[in-house]
Amino acid sequence: MMSYDKPLPQINADTKEFWKCCKQHLIKIQKCSDCGTLRLPPSFLCPRCHSRNTDWITSTGKGSIYTFTVNHVAFHPAFQGDLPYVVAVVALEEGPHLLTNIVGCDPAEVRCDMPVEVTWDDVTDEFSLPKFRPVV
Amino acid sequence: MFRMLTEMAGDAAAFGHFGASAGYALAARRAMHEFHTGPDTWQHIAVGQRRWANLNPRAVMHAKPMTSEDYYNAKWLVEPFRIPDNCLVNDGGRTCIITTAERARDLRHPLVTIMGMGQHNPSTVFQQATYLAGPTGARLAGKTAFNMAGITLGDIDACEIYDCFTYTVEITLQDYGFFGPGEGEDWFSGGTIEPGGRMPVNTSGGQLSEAYHMGLTPLTEGVMQLMGRCGERQLGPATGTKEPEIIVCSDNGAILQCHSCYILRRW
Repeated sequence: MMSYDKPLPQINADTKEFWKCCKQHLIKIQKCSDCGTLRLPPSFLCPRCHSRNTDWITSTGKGSIYTFTVNHVAFHPAFQGDLPYVVAVVALEEGPHLLTNIVGCDPAEVRCDMPVEVTWDDVTDEFSLPKFRPVV
Repeated sequence: MFRMLTEMAGDAAAFGHFGASAGYALAARRAMHEFHTGPDTWQHIAVGQRRWANLNPRAVMHAKPMTSEDYYNAKWLVEPFRIPDNCLVNDGGRTCIITTAERARDLRHPLVTIMGMGQHNPSTVFQQATYLAGPTGARLAGKTAFNMAGITLGDIDACEIYDCFTYTVEITLQDYGFFGPGEGEDWFSGGTIEPGGRMPVNTSGGQLSEAYHMGLTPLTEGVMQLMGRCGERQLGPATGTKEPEIIVCSDNGAILQCHSCYILRRW
């Protein structure tokens, strides 16, 4: 684990809770306590009603691929061994989108609207990254 | 450099998502899912603009012709984009001086005026965006600019479109109403946007083939074409196109999150 050399998420006051829950293999989505709007990435106020009152809900970890790319160049050298790899925006069942990777699938087989589910990549002692694989 | 790369990419860097090419590639892939588009459409844009660059001695790609075959043989960068779907990386500068019409009349170049302008900025965090396949900000910005100018698409003689990527040109022209979703391949084919074509687009070669000067690439080319200062690539008899009176230009920012449209006229 010490040798993990890819960039890690940068924790700030808004995202701290999200990444802490990821370590427990939970995708948490913010929900405005006043108007009910769901939001990702986490932020300190609701973009719809500007309320600061926030609850968290737990995602089922299921969703579908909204869109994706197949990366053929490693802009950071730590990704060289993964080429070609898939970056995707997954639409979670609850609605919000999450930027992630699609794993466990030939990049040539990936399609928009393909059903996917979360699979956790425990990359360091501090971080687990939510990645997604096709639902079999 | 890697620090800059990861700081700009934010948490997306953890998943290997870097830079504008990757963001626009996500948009372009969604468009391929929602309507008929893809490399077969975009090659017309890349090749057509290169033909203009071949007439422009200032263009980075002036001496480098490109065929459809060259386009398809180019390497993938971030699929569905190949290298020629991406704008250039270059140094350089551009200036455009704006003053009153009264003062401009006394200067030595012909006068070009702004007929209309519009802006629309959907501005959602791009991962949450559901407008990547249109309508983008170009739809409302275009309507606003055309209404202010009091003209319709039929009055446009040429287009100078912000072309960070080939797909940006397609979705902008589509949202302005030049063709419907999925009709781009037909509209672009047969040399529509090239020298001699019926609707010249990005007549300097644009950011794909002349130089990346942000929004100043389309703006300065629109102005210079209307002033008649474009030499071998000048619209009109020199290139088998209509002598231009009205040109529509665009600018665009982030991942289709901001859009400006403006319409220029030769006085």
